[in-house]
Order: sequence, then structure tokens, then C-alpha cells
Amino acid sequence: MREKKTFRGVFLNGVLNENPTFRLVLGVCPTLASTTSATNSIGMGLAATFVLVGSNIVISMLRNLIPDKVRIPAYIVVISTFVTIVQMLIQAFVPSLYEALGLFIPLIVVNCIILARAEAFAGKSSVFLSAADGFGMGLGFTGALLLIGAVRELLGNGTLFGNNILGGGFEPMLLAVMAPGGFILFGLILGIVNAITDRISARKGAKA
Amino acid sequence: MRLSFKGGIHPLRERHEGKNASKGQPIRAYIPQSVCIPMDMHIGAPSAPVVAKGDRVKMGQVIATAVGGIGIPVHASVSGEVVAVSQKQLLGKNPSTCVEIRNDLQDEWTELTPLGEAETAPAERIIQAVRDAGICGMGGACFPTHAKMSLPEGKSVDTVILNGAECETFLTSDHRLMLEEPGRVVDGLRLIMRAMKVSRGFIAVEENKMDAVKAMQEAARGREGVSVVVLKTKYPQGGEKQLIEAVTGRQVPSGGLPMDAHVNVFNVGTAAAVADAVILGRPLVSRVTTVTGCVKEPANLLLRIGTPVQEAIDAAGGCSEEPGKVFLGGSMTGIAMPDTSMPMTKANNGIVVMGQKEAVVAPPTPCIRCARCLAACPIRLNPQRLKELCDQQDYAKAKKEHVMDCIVCGACSYVCPAKLELSPAFKEAKDKITARRI
Amino acid sequence: MNLRLSTGPHLLSRESTQTLMLDVLIALIPTTAAGIYLFGSRAAWVLAVAVISAVVFEWLWQKLTRQPVRVKDLSAVVTGLILGLNLPAQAPLWMPVIGSLIAIVLVKQLFGGIGHNFLNPALLARGILLASWPAHMSVYYLPTRVLGATSVAPAADMTSAATALLRPSGFAPYDLLMGNIPGTIGEVSKIAILIGLLYMLFVGTVTWHVPVVFAGTTVLLTWILGGDPLASLLSGGLLFGAVFMATDYVTNPMTKRGQVVFAAGCGLIVTVIRLYGSYPEGVTFAILLMNILTPLIDRLTVRRIYGMVKKHA
Repeated sequence: MREKKTFRGVFLNGVLNENPTFRLVLGVCPTLASTTSATNSIGMGLAATFVLVGSNIVISMLRNLIPDKVRIPAYIVVISTFVTIVQMLIQAFVPSLYEALGLFIPLIVVNCIILARAEAFAGKSSVFLSAADGFGMGLGFTGALLLIGAVRELLGNGTLFGNNILGGGFEPMLLAVMAPGGFILFGLILGIVNAITDRISARKGAKA
Repeated sequence: MRLSFKGGIHPLRERHEGKNASKGQPIRAYIPQSVCIPMDMHIGAPSAPVVAKGDRVKMGQVIATAVGGIGIPVHASVSGEVVAVSQKQLLGKNPSTCVEIRNDLQDEWTELTPLGEAETAPAERIIQAVRDAGICGMGGACFPTHAKMSLPEGKSVDTVILNGAECETFLTSDHRLMLEEPGRVVDGLRLIMRAMKVSRGFIAVEENKMDAVKAMQEAARGREGVSVVVLKTKYPQGGEKQLIEAVTGRQVPSGGLPMDAHVNVFNVGTAAAVADAVILGRPLVSRVTTVTGCVKEPANLLLRIGTPVQEAIDAAGGCSEEPGKVFLGGSMTGIAMPDTSMPMTKANNGIVVMGQKEAVVAPPTPCIRCARCLAACPIRLNPQRLKELCDQQDYAKAKKEHVMDCIVCGACSYVCPAKLELSPAFKEAKDKITARRI
Repeated sequence: MNLRLSTGPHLLSRESTQTLMLDVLIALIPTTAAGIYLFGSRAAWVLAVAVISAVVFEWLWQKLTRQPVRVKDLSAVVTGLILGLNLPAQAPLWMPVIGSLIAIVLVKQLFGGIGHNFLNPALLARGILLASWPAHMSVYYLPTRVLGATSVAPAADMTSAATALLRPSGFAPYDLLMGNIPGTIGEVSKIAILIGLLYMLFVGTVTWHVPVVFAGTTVLLTWILGGDPLASLLSGGLLFGAVFMATDYVTNPMTKRGQVVFAAGCGLIVTVIRLYGSYPEGVTFAILLMNILTPLIDRLTVRRIYGMVKKHA
């Protein structure tokens, strides 16, 4: 018999075991684009989380009404509705973040994480669990972005959330906040995180 | 101008290809106390013994008859008593039947029937005489010579090349033979040319043997269609395909035989044996073998077929230090032997003893893509790529990238700074592809 | 009697990875000496830090990942020295350390160690340093010897931001040849580089194909496109790159034909960047771009093997 899914289990699965950035390697484009600073990372992460939770709930509610053949366009309509909402909210209340993220906010529509969760989870699960999945995935995405963004901001600017951390003597590594540096650091952090989690799960396996 | 081919290497150039120790030593005969003659020295079906324990045999007497179309008979290389006909594990995969004869030191020849002189012997009977004399390629290949001389229907040859390149390291047996008995070599060439109805014959010698070149030129003067060509000293200049490319400018088609380029190549030692067989009626019972390396008196010995390798080493003064490795042939393609009690065969052109220190092989390190193997390969393969494929056991792809054209000359392994075992891997790949019909 | 068994060849060439790397180091002696002579002790410090940190990182990585330690093959020394020669003499000393870390760990070891890196380690390290700290990397000082000053004088008027465009700023061909021009430690003295090239050609470390075609293509194209051919050859990092970096075995093609294609491509990219790009110098990027194309070039330049002929009629 299949293991019964709980809110907590689904939520943690999104944050850890199936972390969209480090495990599924989905949504790499917004990851690279928005992790130039920790603030931007959180902004993008939370925006994506909002869209994920909203679209997961709505799609889950409508899952028996949407004909199978047109489900993808239907999902996109739902997702873009939430993206438009979040875009307007950000523009109204955090204009500086809106400036920084620019095009990448509307591009959340095509973020593969959101469509993938709609397709793989919300389209065939209850509303309650879909919300949990949206929260988990969204927070996992946000956490990963924050980690990468913090490293890039620290190396590339010497600051964290705009506060100078490393002092005046530090000469920032410009490449870290440029696109190639984003690729290199993303790859390195991905490798390190996976090495660590592999080691942890190996230890757990040894104990059990 | 010195003729040559594309690619190739200069092995052991800093020590004169290892030849200096023995190249000044005149050929000297050594008579063993007993011989052990294997029945499968040549390529083709092993010969069938016709003697039994206790039989008395004379030198040159047939002790085993030819089996199959390309088979050749085997002759007693000494006179004396047959002491055993038995199975022995030699260098081959399966045990070989061997005839052991105790030498009575009388050297009493059996009755010989010469065919005639080099220019007058009846041409149509030469090939049969070569077969009866048990001659096979003496450069190392051991392919029966009469079979090489008889062309199948529809094939034609217009050039015969005698291979006196001796590009292998350490060996000087062909060098001494050409220097001391050039007449026999030229006679042999003329007999082969006449038997095959070929009007053009070359004797090809590397330029590190100019004294042999001079001797051969002298002997070839006035002989019909025979000329001596000088080759660049480079390994594997004496490889059949490379020699044909160097001398005639032709290439043997991939997968084909020399006759597909209308050329046949014979070793100079083989030619001398042909001359003996036709002019003197003598079968192949002895050959010149270089014994060198860590021996006290490096020598070129005229050895009876079946002489134990240990006796040959002792005849060269014995080992000068604790031996680490002994191989038959030169250092590039020689075959290492597990012990020195084994007999030498018709194809053994050299016995090299290596000391303990030299015998240690450096461990391989990662390839750095230096491309030295590409420059060295006389077939213009890409050994680096082929080695990758062999390591992945992707033999189908290796075959597509022409591993079957590899002549396993060892040039790539020699030059590899990472000390990778390239040519052994290709040999294995070739064997596996043939066995599995990939 | 205990005889070893093995397949031939039984004796191998005395060349090893270590001797090849040693030959490269010997070839780098004139360039290193010229750099230290021209730029003073400061250059020696940069080079020493680069070499030592490269070796330490290689050793540390191999220890940490429990691999056989191959520091003795000298490849890390070569990488470190070439990286150091690619830096300006006034570079802060943490730069060679970061550069070595990038070259050894990121470019070389993470891709599988010696022989497996698809980019030239020292070059990518230089590229990353250049993109990260342009203030230190793209401002070059005249050799202290030319300035006649023993102290470092990093005043703006003594700098030249563009070593590639040099004859206009008034350097005689003699100064270009000898190295009395602004630039990195290793690239300025062309005569020293050429001595190194002659040594490598003599002992057979490299063949003429890559350096000659690389430099030749650049000079020819520059001339055709209306640039100054002599300055294109003698200024900037062209010769250093063509002799010591484009010739890196691991990252250039294996066939001679492939090497010619590779070198011509390098020359083309350098010329285009220099004449039309926003960077004053393009040798680093040219070689890195062609490094990436190397597997493709290798695949397209397979040689015709012996015997691929029609049967003789």
C-alpha cells in the first residue's frame, strides 16, 4: 500500500528531498537571473511561492473540470493570473524590487517549477496537499535562491542584504554577480549541497 | 635520397638501437648437445611426426611431414638419436608436439638433391623445392614461403622486395648475413624472382648498415633486375606495409595482402635459405640469431633449429647480471619468455637478455593528449582515441576506427610519456574482434 | 630465475609527463628571468606565490579526495608559473592565490585531473581574474627598469590600458621586442619568449604548427584589415599565448591538421577582438574559445589511414 501523504510530509519533501533547485534542477533561468543579491533572491523566491501556492490550490480545485487535452493552456491561464497579481503587488508596494527583477517577474509564468508542480502534483491531488506542495516547493526554491544569492552577493559585492559585511579591505569579485559567475557558483553550490545531503542520507541509511 | 614512409619513431637512438654490442661480431656456429624441435613453428597446421623414440636420424632428414595446403615438413637439425616425441607447453596457447634428438656430433647429412644453380635451376620446380626444404618467413612471421610464392588465380606481382631493413632494436643477424654472405642472399632473390616470373627485385637496407649495403651492391652487380635501395633508419621501416610504401610508393589496401599492391616481401634470411634449398639441396636446419643484451659476449650465432635458448645464452658467455626478462626478437615486438629452457625456432632472429633494473615497467599515468602516438603511428591511426575505446571495451566502435589495421608495431607505446599500454590493448582488441566476429 | 613477462615494447622512451613538463619549465626560464629583470622583485613575488599556491592546492586536493598525489609530474608548477606570468607585476599577492585555486581546483581537478580539463587552467584563471578584478588586471605598468625607478609608481599617466594597440603610443620595434613596454610579467619580452620557443622546438616538446599559424594568421589578418601587422605581433599577449598556452597538449587538437585549424581560429578571434571588440586584448578569450572547439576539431580532422586506397588494377 502506498504511504499516506501528510501535509508535513509533502511540505518537507518540497523543501528537502525534492528541492526544486538542488534536486530537480528546475527553474534555473530565474535562479541565475535573480540571485545577484540576497534581497533579490528572497523577492523572487517569495513571488514564486505565492504563485505556486495559489496556482496549485486553484488547479487542484479545478482538476476534475479541466479536460485533459487542454490542461496545459488552462494551467497557464491560472498561473498567469497569479503572476499578474504578484507583479502588480510588487510594483505597487516594493518598486525597488520591481526595478531589480524587471522582466523576470512576468517570466515566472514560464518557470518550469510551477508548471511542473501543476502537472505532476496539483492536477491529481487534493487541495490541501497541493497547498502543502506549493508551500514546500516555494520555500525550498526560496531557500536555495537565498543561499546562492547570499554567496554571490558576498563575493561579488562584499555585502549581505545590502549591509557591508567583509569590510573596506575586501575587493569584490565582479564575476560573481555576472552571468558566467552565476553559472560557476550555482554549479559549485549545487555540487556541495548534494555532496552533503548524500553523506547525510548515507549515514541515515547506515544507522537504519 | 633515403627512402622512407610516413610516421614512425627512432627507438633507442641514443644507444644506436642497441645494435653496437653485436654488429661487429662475425657469425659463429654453435653446436648444441641436443635439440627439441616443435612441430608448429610455422603458420598453418602443425606437421605430423614420422619418427619415434629410439630412431636414428641424419641431419636434414624429414622428421615430420607437411599437413594441409600451406603446411611444411620439419627436418632433423642434427644427426643422432630421437630421445622423445612429446607434448610441451611452449610460448603458444596450446602445448606443442616436440621431437627431441640427442646430437651424436657427427653432423652426418642425409642424401641431398640439389636442383641447380641460381640462374639455371628449372623455374617451375623451385617452389616445390622451397616447400620440401621446410622454409618459412624468417623475419619473425613464419608464414610458409612456398605459399607466399604461389599466387592465387587472378593475382599478379611485378616486384619482389628483400627485407634487410632490420629496424627492430638489438638485432644484427640480418646485418651480419648480408655482410658475410651477400652472394647467397642475391641467389635466393633471383630464384624467387624466377619462380614467380618477376623482373624487378629490390634489396632494401637501412642506412645504419652501409657496410652491408656495399656488400650487397657488390654481389648484385650484373644480376638481372636486382637493385639495392637504402632506407632511412626508422622504426618500423621493416614492416611489410611500410617497406612497400617506402620502396614502391604503393600502399597495401586496408585488409589486403602485399600482392594486392603487386608486391611480395621476403626476409633476407629467407632468401638465403631458398638459395641453400635449391643450389645445395639443403633443408632449413639452422639460422643466424643475435644473442645480446646482458650477456658477457654478445654474438651472432648460427644456431641449429631447436637449440634451447639457455644454451644459446651460454654460448654467448652467459648472463652478465641476474636476468630480469628474456625475450625473443627485438625490444619493440619481442616475445618475453617465462623460462629459458624452451627451444628456439625458425623465426627466432634474436634472444635479448635484460637486467633486473631495465625489466621494471613504469606504472601508467593519465594521458595528457600530447599526440606523440599519432605522430608515431605508421598506419596514421589515432591510438589515443582507440585506447579510450578499448578501455571502454567498445570494440565495435574501435573496429570502425580501424583498429584492425593496427600492425601492433609498438611505436605508440614506446613514445607514450604516460607509459600507457597502447599496442597491447590493440592486440587484445584485434583478437577479441576476430574471435567474436564483431 | 624469475623472469618478468610482458608484451612489447620492452624498453620505452625516456620521456615522461614529468620530463615534458620540465622541458616547458626550462623553456619558460628566459621569460621568467626577463620578467623579473624588467619588473623587479615584485614580479618574483607574484610568480613565487602563484607557483607555490598551485602546487599546494593540487597536493591538498589530491590528499582530501584520497587520490594518488601526482604533484611530482610538475604540471601544477607549469600551471602556476604560466598563471603568474599572465599577471601584472603590481597585482596584489592574493590574486595569484585565487588564480591558482581556480586553475587547479575548478578547472583541472573538478574535471578529472591532469589530461581531463577541457580548458587551459591558467588561461581560464586569468580570464576569471580579468572579469572579476578588471581594475588590477587590465591596467598595465611600464617595467620599473624603464621608469628608472626602484619604487613602484602606479600613477595613472604611466599606465597603458591597452597593450594591444601600442605602436600608436610610441614604442619602437626594439622596445617591443625587448620588453620595454607595459604588460604582464611574461608577455612583454618577445625575445625571451622566442628563445623558449626555439628550445621547445629543438627538444621536440611542441611542433611549429600552432605558434607559427596562430601568429601568422593574426599578422596576416591584421594587415588585410588595415591594422599594424608588426605591432599586432610584438605587442600584447599574442606571442606568449601562441607559444606557451595555445600549445597546451590537453586542450588543443591532436592531428597536425586539427592544430592548424585550431591555431588559425585563435588568430582570427584575436584579430577580430583587437580590431573590433571592446576589450583591447583578445588572446585569452581566443584560446579559450578554441579550447572549447577542440573536441569538434578532433572529430573533423581524422587522418586518412594507410591503405585507404583503391586496389591497384
